[in-house]
Amino acid sequence: MNIIFLILSHWLIVLTLSPLFLGIISKVKAFFAGKKGPSFFQPYFDLQRLFQKNSVYSRTTTWIFCAAPIINLAAVLVLSALVPLGTFKAPVKFSGDILLAAYILGFARFFMISAALDTGSSFEGMGASREAFFSCLSELALFMNFITLSFVSHSISLSAMIGANFPLSWTLMGPVLLLVVGSFFIVILTENARIPIDDPDTHLELTMIHEVMILDHSGVDLGYMLYAAAIKFFVFASIMVPIIVPVQSGNTAWDMLIFLGGMLVLSVTVGIIESTMARLRLNRVNNLLLIAFALAFFGFVVKMWRM
Amino acid sequence: MTSWVDVICIVIVFLSLIILSNHRVAAMIGVFALQSFVLGLLPFFLHASSISSRDIMIGLVTMILKAALVPYILFWAIRHVSMRSEIKPIIGFGASIIFGAIVIAGAFWVSLSLKIPGQPASDLVLPCSLSTVLLGFMIMVTRTRAVTQVLGYLILENGIFLFAISLFDVMPVLIEMGILLDIFVAVFIMAIVVNHINEEFEKNTASVVQSNMGETF
Repeated sequence: MNIIFLILSHWLIVLTLSPLFLGIISKVKAFFAGKKGPSFFQPYFDLQRLFQKNSVYSRTTTWIFCAAPIINLAAVLVLSALVPLGTFKAPVKFSGDILLAAYILGFARFFMISAALDTGSSFEGMGASREAFFSCLSELALFMNFITLSFVSHSISLSAMIGANFPLSWTLMGPVLLLVVGSFFIVILTENARIPIDDPDTHLELTMIHEVMILDHSGVDLGYMLYAAAIKFFVFASIMVPIIVPVQSGNTAWDMLIFLGGMLVLSVTVGIIESTMARLRLNRVNNLLLIAFALAFFGFVVKMWRM
Repeated sequence: MTSWVDVICIVIVFLSLIILSNHRVAAMIGVFALQSFVLGLLPFFLHASSISSRDIMIGLVTMILKAALVPYILFWAIRHVSMRSEIKPIIGFGASIIFGAIVIAGAFWVSLSLKIPGQPASDLVLPCSLSTVLLGFMIMVTRTRAVTQVLGYLILENGIFLFAISLFDVMPVLIEMGILLDIFVAVFIMAIVVNHINEEFEKNTASVVQSNMGETF
């Protein structure tokens, strides 16, 4: 009973807070463009509007197309249960759950790609193939990061690796953590379809990856997809923030405040990158992802050297 | 301040990797200038308690020479031969990064068995300088443009300089100044040579020079 209550309260936090950070990113982008921009709560209004609509299905689609949004949302929610949020401990943790976390992402992506192929549209097929290509490279970097972090923390559980009781500080492991943070940031940008890799705003078929795959979803299904994307960003950010700021003040309120502040700074950073950088050419993206892998590998080598 | 020395070493290797993966010559020169600037910061962190005038001098001379003058000459050279990007590297960019990662691991492995006299500022200095030397060497042999090869040589030299700084207290300042001057003159001559190659052959790949070597020189 207790564990069910814990998981539900964890999900409540994730579900309420996650769209806010997308709102912050778009506010930062509007500020850089010299505009007033939509309110911080615009993603909530969008989701509310979408959830009141009905979905439209093409006649060529099958059950996979209908199932993919639900599976996607469910998968990221399960993933979020494995990740500690600041002072809130993760409700589910066991040794080796980093593998589960990585493959839940893979599972969600598999259904998303299948749904995109299911529509029979050539644009969506192109987006699906790009997503498959880039995600297999970003998974390489993600795993290398997890391996390095697990060597640093002597544990293969996500909670122990990044929890509030992060065993190492920057003074001891500074160089390794610097490399891991740099590499993980590129992984965040890739997994969440952010600007140097993908443009979340454009609706030009030739340039987009993630957006093209959800082009045929409408109404509630689109709402699920957008909600899943918001939660995914929130989960990735809450993996990265405790690595940068290992909070250990003891006071729960302060720790939570520091955590949320870190999330805010990370969102603003993503917004600044989106406003100041151009999207990379498609055939340069794999180089960026390989650099992310090389950084994590370099961190691993330094960790081995220092052991 | 060992941790700052660590961070500088890591950043220098990281910037070499970035240069290795870049295809635009101007961007490569920019990153090289940044790398030299970071290298120039290193002497300030070596003796955290008391910064001597010698530290300041070495740091400032490195920054002025390598982060300002040499990039300026290189920019001048590519402007004159109007060269934008490295078109055909011998090894592709993606493969270069993977090989670079392997080379870094190799450098760390080799430096396990290297014993240097004296106490270096940090235990990362030796493997990181070796990695930088090898990455610079890799850029030198896998790129076909004359300017990018020179850039590889300069990165290689940055690695040697990093190593020299770790033996800072036993190395006479005159030798360091001599090395810096040599580099400056080498880049200067390179710029003139690249310019002449361009006028002579209307192309600036090093292989053209090699194939025409017998007839012309």
